Amino acid sequence: MTGIISKLFAVILLVCVCSCKNTPNKQGNLNFPVADSVPAGEAEKLSDEAIADIIQNIASPVEIAAMLQAMEVPFTADYLATTQGADRLTTNFQKAIMLGIYGADLGYLNMYEKTGNSVDVLSTIKRLADGLRVGQFFDFETLKRLSVSKSNLDSLLFLSINSYNRIDEYLRDNNRGAVSALMIAGVWIEGQYLATQVATGGSYKILRDRIGEQKIILGDLLMLLRPYSRSNNEYSSFYDMMEKISVAYHDVRITYRLGEPETVEQDGRLVMIQHEESIVEMTDEQLATITGLSKEVRNKLISGL
Amino acid sequence: MKSRILILSSVLVLLHVIASGQAATDDLVSHCMLNAGENTTYLKDFRIQLPGAAANAATPVYKANMYLMKNMKYRFSICNAPESEGELKITIYDQGKELISSYNESTGKQYNSIDFICNKTGLYSIWYDFMDGKPGYGVGVVSMIK
Repeated sequence: MTGIISKLFAVILLVCVCSCKNTPNKQGNLNFPVADSVPAGEAEKLSDEAIADIIQNIASPVEIAAMLQAMEVPFTADYLATTQGADRLTTNFQKAIMLGIYGADLGYLNMYEKTGNSVDVLSTIKRLADGLRVGQFFDFETLKRLSVSKSNLDSLLFLSINSYNRIDEYLRDNNRGAVSALMIAGVWIEGQYLATQVATGGSYKILRDRIGEQKIILGDLLMLLRPYSRSNNEYSSFYDMMEKISVAYHDVRITYRLGEPETVEQDGRLVMIQHEESIVEMTDEQLATITGLSKEVRNKLISGL
Repeated sequence: MKSRILILSSVLVLLHVIASGQAATDDLVSHCMLNAGENTTYLKDFRIQLPGAAANAATPVYKANMYLMKNMKYRFSICNAPESEGELKITIYDQGKELISSYNESTGKQYNSIDFICNKTGLYSIWYDFMDGKPGYGVGVVSMIK
């Protein structure tokens, strides 16, 4: 009887641990959460790890691609990272950073409806995710089916982005913030590479501004990476490279023009038009330096540092 | 033997509850994404479950910070779980200043989405809470408008 009670206790403990660890969001539907309360103005007072927890969407796998598509920039397969050699990635650092880079490439492929070409990237992502023990969030078969059939692009985008969100949340909830930060950094550097490469080949004011605005994002991204920056040589080397990009942004100016928001109702929806505006001032030389460094960092990462 | 069967049954029931709870949340997110409309691309979801407000206490709020980018149009959709007592609302803040809420206090009208035409890149605070401080459960989906 004592043995059964012990087993019962062990099983209940295991279930509790599993349920906690697999809850992708702390505000999941099984437990009432303690409401967090961190006004934006107080964010700088928080620890680095807390920042990681509260800043959402620091780098999206699709926003840059969506912008390029809206600007009618043609798709260029040459911008994509090769998947050859992905089998040889051995460290968690390499797997995590490449998971982010391929995630951004997948977003680029999907936004341009090059879904037939994305199966190879999907397979690589699946392998990397499995290697990091987060493959359970990636419904490879459904994603592959949607990619091949090209039947429902919205579902494909939703599932793939949602998989990345769930992986990120799971990693952070399970004290694997170092891996999460690398994945986010991978998404960011690939988006930055795409944006700067396109900007080099043409005159795109909106894109140029977007690259300049990354000064703000990069500051927070470095804050995410900083707690782990000296954990090993790979991390250390990567962090130093990212800091170099940050230095190149030092003299890029971002100013704000004040304005009151305007609210209207359109087709039963509430629409807010923001009239306060952020303005980027960045010289051609600054852009060229940022472009060069972003390419250098990204290419080092895809070649294994 | 009976005890073992009882233990196994209990565990299976518990695992089923956990799994079905997660599936229900995923379904609600999918449903909310569909409600966002065809011309949108999903970016992020927030799963919100809050207790009712205690007497003489502030209404519980779920808060998140999110980067929004200039020249982008975002749609913030909110959906209530069928069993939710409270009705979810969203308020967006920029550096502590309220920009917009899905609930218009002067007209008493509640909207199930907000379109935000962003002209300033920055970190915004997104607050979710339930009307009248009731307990509730729902999801918020953020998407880009194409």
